[in-house]
Amino acid sequence: MSKPISSLALIGALLKKEFKAYSRDTIYLALTLVVLVAVPIVFHFLPDSVDETITLAVSPSVSTMIAEAEDTLRSLGATEEQLAQLDEADLAEQEEGLLLLEFDDAEEMTRVIEGELEAWRTDAGELVLRDPDADTDKPEDATRVNVDIGIAFPDDFIADVATGAGDVTVTVYSDAAVDEEIQAAMRSFVREAAYQFAGRELPVDLPAEETIVLGEDRAGSQVTLQERMRPMLLFMILLMETFSMASLVSTEVLQRTVTAVLVTPAKVWHFLTAKTIFGTLMSLSQALIILVLIGGVTAENWSLLLTVLLMGAVMFTGVALFVGSAGRDFMGQLFYAMLFTVPLLIPSFAVLIPGSVAAWVRFIPTYPIIDVLVGATVYDATWASSWSALAYAGVWLVVLYGAGLVALKRKVESL
Amino acid sequence: MSEPAIQVQDLHYAYGDLQAVKGISFDVQPGEILGFLGPNGAGKSTTIKMLTGQLTPQKGTARILGKDVTKDDPEVQAQIGVCFEEKNLYLNMTALENLDFFASLFGIKDADSLEVLRRVGLADRAKDRVSSFSKGMRQRMMISRAFINKPRVLFLDEPTDGLDPVTSAAIRKTIKEEAERGAAVLLTTHDMFEADELSDRVAFINEGEVVALDTPESLKLKYGTRSVKVRLRNGEDVREERFEIDAEGASARLAELAASPNLMTIHTEEATLEQIFIQLTGRGLEG
Repeated sequence: MSKPISSLALIGALLKKEFKAYSRDTIYLALTLVVLVAVPIVFHFLPDSVDETITLAVSPSVSTMIAEAEDTLRSLGATEEQLAQLDEADLAEQEEGLLLLEFDDAEEMTRVIEGELEAWRTDAGELVLRDPDADTDKPEDATRVNVDIGIAFPDDFIADVATGAGDVTVTVYSDAAVDEEIQAAMRSFVREAAYQFAGRELPVDLPAEETIVLGEDRAGSQVTLQERMRPMLLFMILLMETFSMASLVSTEVLQRTVTAVLVTPAKVWHFLTAKTIFGTLMSLSQALIILVLIGGVTAENWSLLLTVLLMGAVMFTGVALFVGSAGRDFMGQLFYAMLFTVPLLIPSFAVLIPGSVAAWVRFIPTYPIIDVLVGATVYDATWASSWSALAYAGVWLVVLYGAGLVALKRKVESL
Repeated sequence: MSEPAIQVQDLHYAYGDLQAVKGISFDVQPGEILGFLGPNGAGKSTTIKMLTGQLTPQKGTARILGKDVTKDDPEVQAQIGVCFEEKNLYLNMTALENLDFFASLFGIKDADSLEVLRRVGLADRAKDRVSSFSKGMRQRMMISRAFINKPRVLFLDEPTDGLDPVTSAAIRKTIKEEAERGAAVLLTTHDMFEADELSDRVAFINEGEVVALDTPESLKLKYGTRSVKVRLRNGEDVREERFEIDAEGASARLAELAASPNLMTIHTEEATLEQIFIQLTGRGLEG
């Protein structure tokens, strides 16, 4: 008998076939090309800066309120010294990060908040209102301002609080989408303003406060949407490859071509090894191409990124092996693909909406992968700060890849 | 006689409580074609799966080229060719790519895949994707794939199932050529004509057991009866008379009919393999 073929040659032959089969699948090939082109383009158009300005609407204008208050207080016998305090407490003194829009009419303000009117601010700082339903041109040299919250002060607000005259009601209008925290902050703002006009201290003693920022202080340099999306896009690339890999495995199982392979010198482990190498190579190479195109890799983090992407690629290959062996037809395979990939997607939303994730999300296998990806690309994480997450990811990798291997092995042997 | 290419002794296999193969024994010599005949569920495919390493026998021994099939020996795998009943080809690859891929799995570096395709009449479609092939062409592809490594042992499962007579005849010709080359062929088929034409010996399988194993001629002699069918003109009609040659008075009756001016045709008839199978098992081959 002739010399048997080596395992290396067998895996090489199987890999060659995998690439050929993949290149002939026009759907997945087109999908891959579209992703490689579209993702960098989408990334390019994502905002690369953060607007931290809070817009607050008030009615009537602060100057009107002060002028009315001065008249009232003067008639009540207020001294010039007392009136001078009004100027010191001027609400219109704009602080950094706060844009105050002053409306003469409270009804106009509420219509802007409701979206019936558009608010534009000219370069000179003037407020221009526009009815979007009316056939009028957009104001020149002006920028549209989104107004979500506004405060309507009663006519004699300053005088009433300064003299302590009865109950004073201030109305805070807010869009339904405004967080409760912001609404509460506005109420505190009004309360503080009232105490200030009344010339009194706040009825609480604020504790001494010292802020220590751990890690990089990003005050004034918040994470941009582009930065947030970078790890998510990388993660999505890895995840998407699960579908095409699962489809290739499923086709091989359903058409029973694997049976033909296994009556040659190739054994089940050759088949599984080739599938693993191919799946990992495909997802890893695409993720690396995207990483190069959208940036984020540095001399410090490249090895960490490469490691975590490799781990992610193997993990998703395991999922693909499982899904590919589970489906009995195309729809079945699609069902299992969605069943497994949607939960695995959940941790990536933590990137978009920080603080929105419940504790149980940490138990999803992909959590440590996305955690390290975010750390490496956004927060300059190092090997030292990432090793525990990597170890956790390693445990899940063994579980998922092992499950995929066992499922496919059993399926192949049962054909 | 040389060592059998396939040796099977008391082979058993059960799927749970269902005993699919119950003590099958047979052997196939190099250059011999053994027809494996039986209805669906008789245990033919299970036996082939055990012989090709897809299933592990639960009892008994099976040797291919002198090596135990349970040892999972790549040297043995390199010497076998399998044509499955299912057309499990890579549809997105061309005919040539399919054969080249399987040749590479056998470690054949300079495989003449085009020549193999030529043998089954597919050379002019070598660079077309298999997905564009008709059922008959795919079946010919299956045969060519089984031949790609010039195997010493061939397992052919229903190689002409559903094909037109011309294609079937072409495939039978190539199977004969393989046997003449020295390959031992285990042929599974429902087609009695095919089994009769190709097989040196046939094994009748029923309910997991070999109920008869011999050459087709011997089986016919042993279990069948020879008869004569005579057609005679009867006025406007045609009358048919059939009687066994070996029956008492048959020779005299035959001479009498032969002399009749109304004689139209005389045909001798022998039992078909299917009739013998029914006689032995009480059931047909299509069941």
